[in-house]
Amino acid sequence: MEDRPHKAHRPAHSGGKAEKKDKGKGKEKQHSFNEKAFAPKSGRNADRQGRRNVERDQTRLHVPLVNRTPDDLPPPILVAIVGPPGVGKTTLLKSLVRRYTKQTLNDAKGPITVVSGKKRRITFVECNNDLNSMIDIGKIADLVLLMIDGSFGFEMETFEFLNILQSHGFPKVIGILTHLDLIKKAAILRASKKALKKRFWTEIYQGAKLFYLSGVLNGRYPDTEILNLSRFISVMKFRPLVFRNTHPYLIADRIEDLTPRELIRTSNRKCDRTVTVYGYVRGTNLRPGQRVHIPGVGDLDMKSVTILGDPCPLPDADSEKRRKLSEKKKLLVHAPMSDVGGVVYDKDAVFTRRTEGEEGVLQGEGERMVMDLQEAGMTLDDAVKQTHIKLFGSSEKHLAVGIDEDEDMDEDMEDDEDEDAEDEEDLDSDADVDDDDEHAHSLSMNQLRSNPRNTGRSQPRHPARTLPSRSSSGKHQKSEVDFAESDSDLGDEDEGDFMGGGGRRTRFGFGDDDMDMDFHDDEDGEGEFDNDKDEQEEGGHNNKALDALAGKRRRRDWMKDIYSSSLTPEEILSSNPSSSSSSKPTTDFDDDFFSIKKSSLFHEGTNTLEFADKTKTSPDLAELSKWEDEEMLDSVRKLFITADLNVAAEGGEGEGGDGEWNGTGNDDDDDDGEGGDFVDFEAMGGGDPSASTADPVTAVPSSSFATGPSSDPSSSRSAIAVKKAALKARFDEEYDDPDASKGVDFYDEKKAEMALQLQLNKAEFAKIADPEARALVEGYVPGTYVRIELTSVAAELIEHFDARYPIVIGGLLPAEERMGYVQVRLKRHRWFTKTLKTNDPLILSIGWRRFQTMPIYSLDDHSIRMRMLKYTPEHMHCYATFWGPVALPNTGFLSATGVVLSIDSSVQIVKKLKLTGTPYKVFKNTAFIKGMFSSALEVAKFEGANVRTVSGILFRAAFEDKVLMSDIPRKFYFPVTSLLLPSQSQSVSESTSPDTETKSNWQGMRLTGQVRRDLGIKTPLNINSTYKKIQRPEKKFNPLVVPKKLQAALPYKSKPKLMAKQGGGEKVVLEPEEKKAVALLQQIRALRKDQVAKRREKKEEKKEKRAKELEKEAERKGEKEKEKRKEYMKVAGQKSKREADMQEGRSAKRRKTS
Amino acid sequence: MVGSAIQYSGHQYFRHRLALSILSGKTLKIDKIRSEDKNPGLRDFEISLLRLLEKVTNGTVIEISVTGTAILVKPGIIAGGPLVHDCPLSRSIGYFLEPIIMLAPFAKRPLQLTLRGVTTDDNDLSADLIRTVTLPHLQLFGISDGLELQIKKRGAPPAGGGEVQFLCPIVKQVKTLNFVEPGKIKRIRGISHAVRVSPQFSNRMIEAARSILNRYIPDIYLYSDVYKGDESGKSPGYALSLLAESTTSALFCSEAISQPGVAPEDIALQATRSLLSEISKGGCVDQKHQSLVLLFMVLGSEDVGRCRMAEPTPRTIQFLRDVRDFFGTSFKIVSAEPGNSESTELLYSCYGTGHVNANRNLA
Repeated sequence: MEDRPHKAHRPAHSGGKAEKKDKGKGKEKQHSFNEKAFAPKSGRNADRQGRRNVERDQTRLHVPLVNRTPDDLPPPILVAIVGPPGVGKTTLLKSLVRRYTKQTLNDAKGPITVVSGKKRRITFVECNNDLNSMIDIGKIADLVLLMIDGSFGFEMETFEFLNILQSHGFPKVIGILTHLDLIKKAAILRASKKALKKRFWTEIYQGAKLFYLSGVLNGRYPDTEILNLSRFISVMKFRPLVFRNTHPYLIADRIEDLTPRELIRTSNRKCDRTVTVYGYVRGTNLRPGQRVHIPGVGDLDMKSVTILGDPCPLPDADSEKRRKLSEKKKLLVHAPMSDVGGVVYDKDAVFTRRTEGEEGVLQGEGERMVMDLQEAGMTLDDAVKQTHIKLFGSSEKHLAVGIDEDEDMDEDMEDDEDEDAEDEEDLDSDADVDDDDEHAHSLSMNQLRSNPRNTGRSQPRHPARTLPSRSSSGKHQKSEVDFAESDSDLGDEDEGDFMGGGGRRTRFGFGDDDMDMDFHDDEDGEGEFDNDKDEQEEGGHNNKALDALAGKRRRRDWMKDIYSSSLTPEEILSSNPSSSSSSKPTTDFDDDFFSIKKSSLFHEGTNTLEFADKTKTSPDLAELSKWEDEEMLDSVRKLFITADLNVAAEGGEGEGGDGEWNGTGNDDDDDDGEGGDFVDFEAMGGGDPSASTADPVTAVPSSSFATGPSSDPSSSRSAIAVKKAALKARFDEEYDDPDASKGVDFYDEKKAEMALQLQLNKAEFAKIADPEARALVEGYVPGTYVRIELTSVAAELIEHFDARYPIVIGGLLPAEERMGYVQVRLKRHRWFTKTLKTNDPLILSIGWRRFQTMPIYSLDDHSIRMRMLKYTPEHMHCYATFWGPVALPNTGFLSATGVVLSIDSSVQIVKKLKLTGTPYKVFKNTAFIKGMFSSALEVAKFEGANVRTVSGILFRAAFEDKVLMSDIPRKFYFPVTSLLLPSQSQSVSESTSPDTETKSNWQGMRLTGQVRRDLGIKTPLNINSTYKKIQRPEKKFNPLVVPKKLQAALPYKSKPKLMAKQGGGEKVVLEPEEKKAVALLQQIRALRKDQVAKRREKKEEKKEKRAKELEKEAERKGEKEKEKRKEYMKVAGQKSKREADMQEGRSAKRRKTS
Repeated sequence: MVGSAIQYSGHQYFRHRLALSILSGKTLKIDKIRSEDKNPGLRDFEISLLRLLEKVTNGTVIEISVTGTAILVKPGIIAGGPLVHDCPLSRSIGYFLEPIIMLAPFAKRPLQLTLRGVTTDDNDLSADLIRTVTLPHLQLFGISDGLELQIKKRGAPPAGGGEVQFLCPIVKQVKTLNFVEPGKIKRIRGISHAVRVSPQFSNRMIEAARSILNRYIPDIYLYSDVYKGDESGKSPGYALSLLAESTTSALFCSEAISQPGVAPEDIALQATRSLLSEISKGGCVDQKHQSLVLLFMVLGSEDVGRCRMAEPTPRTIQFLRDVRDFFGTSFKIVSAEPGNSESTELLYSCYGTGHVNANRNLA
């Protein structure tokens, strides 16, 4: 259809239309842009423009970060709704939930998970107006819907929250303006929208998304607006944040107390609780055994982690075919904390579903069941103890929990740490037994509610409530899959082995002994499992079993030997099936110590014990002596680069070897190390001429190849095909575009590298089908729904639990578990009006933690010392050092904003100290100073310190200048003393505070001033520190005395003018004659003056005349001179011309001749 | 705040447990240290190692019981910086250097450590091997610039008198290893040294080694390294260390040192044969360096690291167990060639812990 050419347009050439067009054309020509106007006018501008464009392109690039969330089943994205109270957060939440699930929530509390698309789920969290909640939400939210009251404008909370986001990594933010209907006038509305938008953009970034929601209809926002918003949310892309990319975390969407009721009652509800929390793992892989931190509660140990069925699963394969999410799936909402009716609680899965109509009936039952679950008064331990379950029909004893523990007492010391896990695993298996027996015994389920695994389940309540298509059949399927896996255990050696080894906790038996197991028979399976442990303990048995199997050449399972047997390393190696199987008498366990002692008896050297910890093993002479044999020497020839030259017969192999090592990392996607399969290829492809140049074929893998070699024609054909493909690829690479690979820049290269690694990560453990076994090796991947059991949780968390306060469980890295001095660079918060004072308690939020500590502020003095500051500077960064839980450098923190710089176990900060003294004897550059120190120790302490006088004369070994007695009433002193930092910090534990009132105003350490005020104590006042009026004696200066001798020698100018000035003062009265005489004298003087003036005038005239004459003379002379020069130049010019002519003539001639 | 201590018994594997404890920050408790021995408790070299670790770190608390049969180590941070340490003559410098190499890249400041004592002995890697083999292994993990071991003086047992300087840069995070191609041996290098004996001894060793190795490849250089005067330590001795490098720069090494009453030729043959047996075991990393490589794989970023190696030694097995205790990381260990039943090579893979050098200063 599309490629058929459309009928071309034929414009009218005559008629009205044509005329019209012509007219228009003329007009348009005037208006159309002048092409020349937009051409670059100057080359420089064009160049500048070009460079700017390139630069702008660069700004789009970000530091490549690995996205550690799996893309096939990502955790739901966390959308937090944040804003000041009364802005419409709950309304928005309800509207959004309604949009996705078509149901209205009455009481939306806690995280609410919905399915939003075929590949996306969303968890909505409403953040209450509490600073601590805001901080926690800021740390974990992927997307923040920041709500702003349009009729009011920005409020403090909004800015505060943005500030929080800045220091914890900035997630995506969408602004939402509400209450716009309250603004009646269109002009004002427009203006306020514009103003708010401008402010919002400056706060986040230019062009940040801002939504406008007009009024509320039926308790919801208008559907179209919500639809638009939901579309924006669904296309949102997220960049991984560094902190979240290194820490696993989950937001608890359900929390249960498992503490025995009796214990709670006896301890008056104050005992530490055992608590389970449920949620999706986010961030990175949650490793078993990792410690976690719950902000507001503290650091906790995870007792167990169990993978549960996804309560809010993504649509599966069948609905995948459809373009849109089916309506049925839309109904799924998971919100255990909110009051969603029709809740179905299983032991390991939670299904919530609402269907109109049946709601009323079901709710009752569901609730009852939940109540039943909560009634459970016992732990699993107790429950198992009380039940009289026999593993087999023939067993005499009941299943007991304690037994294993007794046995374990004398277990291998090195396995001590694992024992808990193992015991628990036993419990698990026991519990499984219970479950299986349940069909028959119909035990009360709720006693075993902490049982994490449940396979074949057929509770009567299922079909009524859960989705009929999914739940029961799905569960059943799951169990079937499990069985199938174990079957493959038998078939596929490696995979099976690995499963066995990795899974100390797998349900089925391990490696070698699996052979005769029937997995469909539950009893056998369980029996096997129980025996398993015993076998491990008795190494002898194990060895015998190995011996028995030696004929079958089963590959030995290293993982099992290393991780789940209690044999000593030496025993493991000696029981190696390849060597002679010496079944050593096993000393009951452990101790390397004992075994070594024994071996020391055999060895002749007495100091084996002494040198046990050595890297080089002493050469085994027997082992070495076999190298005297020529054949043996030849046998390793194939391992050398020269192999193919020497060994003609094995040419193919040598060739293959070359290919193998030429190929660099081509085999990244083959997982289980089929790196070695080149032998097979060579056997097949030896005759193929292309084989010699073939690129390694390691990329092609398949165990089917390796196991069933060239005998299978189809496999060999495919092998050849693969080789051909590789060859072609290489050819293409060489000839197509040799520069293509060079064009890849650093950025792309890094990105490709990351993608490759990510692919490898995925492939490496993909073969382990049992999720529990897999979790042991790689942890719980993000996106899995887990149940975490936490022990010794403060009782208040449960007692004062409020669903509106989010519970975040953050995984801690090993480095973050310790305490130490943390040095941070910090600046006062921009809205905190006061300066911060050293040693005043300050609440900080670093990493997951919130704690109160006493920082000491300091500044770097020219990189010489850290000088203590009593107060933080006004608008400048300074350093702060405090004792607290360690966080990785470059972690942002809050309270005052800043970043962690380094951590240490001791810090040196110095304090300026002024000690004053007075000089009492002064020499040239030395002075004795009195009253500075009070003891010899003090003097010793400050030896070599920096001394300075008031007038600035510095002391460097000696004073720079002579010190005056009067000049130094004081001396400044800068001693280098390290301050002892206060090593206190306190975790903020507001989550455990009694009610919501105090939850928001948790009481931490008080300032000293507050304490004093509260206790009515006056500030201690040192009498010497008070300011008093300074009494200074009047200074008297003596007159300067210059010695007579010196005076005599001085020039007159410098001589002191001792004589008083003469004359002046008296008035002279003249006699009449005298007057006459004076008048006469004056007249004579006037005449004389006149005469002199006249004479001078005449002289001047004469002078002028003379000058003129001289000028004329000079002119005449000059003219003569000119003529002379002219003459000379003429002659010279002619001469040079002649010469030039001559030269030219000659060359012209020459030219002619040539 | 700090989790419960990790507890072990016995004096074995003392070094790597200390190193793991300091790296992971977990408290370590070891009891029953030679408690049934005639001379119970820690030996002088172990005490010396603890002292060295105390110097290298800041804030480490080491408590030793009265009898010396139990210790408690609360690790501090790794400080680094310029340090000097005199090693006791009972163990060689390698004993001290091996755990230090595990720690040094994660220090606060680059480490410049001068060690004095015996440079070569029977028990641990000699200074030559550390320089030529161990340090190149660190390069696999992106620790290369400024990584150096200078042998200032050689010191043969028993009187020692050697001196080496170890310089190590700091890193933020080690790279993930993916080393599954063993390649083919392309060159063999060796250092034969003789101190306070006739320099002819080293030439004799070289000749003897060549008599076996020459058949394989032509690219063989065995250096004769003769130290004189003050630089040659206090005791006479000689040794031959050999290393073979493959096309993918996998390294295998061996060493033999002088024994009384044994001709240098025999020493050379011993070294050569152990090199061949090391090569024949295959893999990408030789047996002496298994635990070092595995440790750095565990400490890598949160990605899958893979390495092909020969069967684990007892030390490696215990190391793997200890790593699980300290870091909670288990390795996946499968045969490198599932199709080939003769092959004893294994593929070790693990998911790195994403260990970041928290001690490093920012700006």
